[in-house]
Amino acid sequence: MTEGNTQNDQTGGSDVFNVPVIIAAAHELKAPLALIRQLSLSLEQGNVSKKEIERIAEKITLTSERSLRLTTDLTRSARLEDSLFTLEPINPISLCEDVVHELSPMFAARGKAIAVKERRRSLLAVGNHDLLRRILLNFADNALYYSAPEAPVVLSVSRIKNGETIRLSVRDYGPALPMTVWKSFDSSLGKRAQMLHSRPESSGLGMYIASQFAGVMGATLGATRHRDGATFYVDLNASTQLRLL
Amino acid sequence: MNAVRPVIALIDDDAWLVDEYTRTLNKAGYRTVSASNALEGIDLIDTAHPQAIILDIFMPGPNGIVLIHELRSHTDLAQIPIIVATNSASDIDESAMAAYGVLVVLDKTTMKPDDLIVAVRKVLP
Repeated sequence: MTEGNTQNDQTGGSDVFNVPVIIAAAHELKAPLALIRQLSLSLEQGNVSKKEIERIAEKITLTSERSLRLTTDLTRSARLEDSLFTLEPINPISLCEDVVHELSPMFAARGKAIAVKERRRSLLAVGNHDLLRRILLNFADNALYYSAPEAPVVLSVSRIKNGETIRLSVRDYGPALPMTVWKSFDSSLGKRAQMLHSRPESSGLGMYIASQFAGVMGATLGATRHRDGATFYVDLNASTQLRLL
Repeated sequence: MNAVRPVIALIDDDAWLVDEYTRTLNKAGYRTVSASNALEGIDLIDTAHPQAIILDIFMPGPNGIVLIHELRSHTDLAQIPIIVATNSASDIDESAMAAYGVLVVLDKTTMKPDDLIVAVRKVLP
């Protein structure tokens, strides 16, 4: 795989009627749709202050946007086999900042924070900008629900394996998963859409979709369990462009 | 005045849904306390001694079923009536849950705000 190439990878994608994915998607869309419905019913009932109306409207907008992101990801993952994805040098810090900018309103509305860990040296990774962005959005969206308000979710970029690999990580601080659940999750990370009831909102399908996107770019996903949360990461080939300068 | 208003514990990881439950129940004259996961929920119930609990099932960390089992092991907490409000109500055997103090199962996907009040009135002594 070389930079600037396009790739039509046959490993990604899923059947149109992939039943586990359909079930997982239905499950994951249920919660935001139920929330939107409850918020809408609150507005319908009336007797709500102007400030409350604005607050509820913002929640409806943000929840809808989150759900739409999932439906777009599902569509993309189902059509990976038919698509061409340009692999190009990407500035991962800049990409992380874009993700933080996009998700900040949702985090702020939930009373939480998201940030990028500063890094002095520039790095370049090889990947597809849109797919990598979607992977990070999935990680960060997952982290949103498991992070404590006082500890921001942190996106960071590091160089590993003698600089040949660039790792983009999303670290959350929240209730740790029980080890038995973690083992089951870790061994099946991205291999199938699975319900993970200790992380009910998005670990299963989001990670499955992210792994589909990673596969197309030749990237790999991983996760680390911490006493106080988890780190989800994607490893990509480092670009040689900076070394040639 | 507050002392005579029944306290309802809301245990759900969706803070925005908890906001809505709180508004609905406060308007109906109930006080509320809340926790976002089962572990916090057990501590909350232990300290607040609510008159009823509205409980989600799937939450980060131990789920709502774990909390129900924990409550059953404490004689002073085992008698608190539980209302389960979940997106997976269709997967739950309501009659089996009754043995664990779950008196009402609400389906979040179809319930209306007033259903919460009706359920609370039904379970309160």
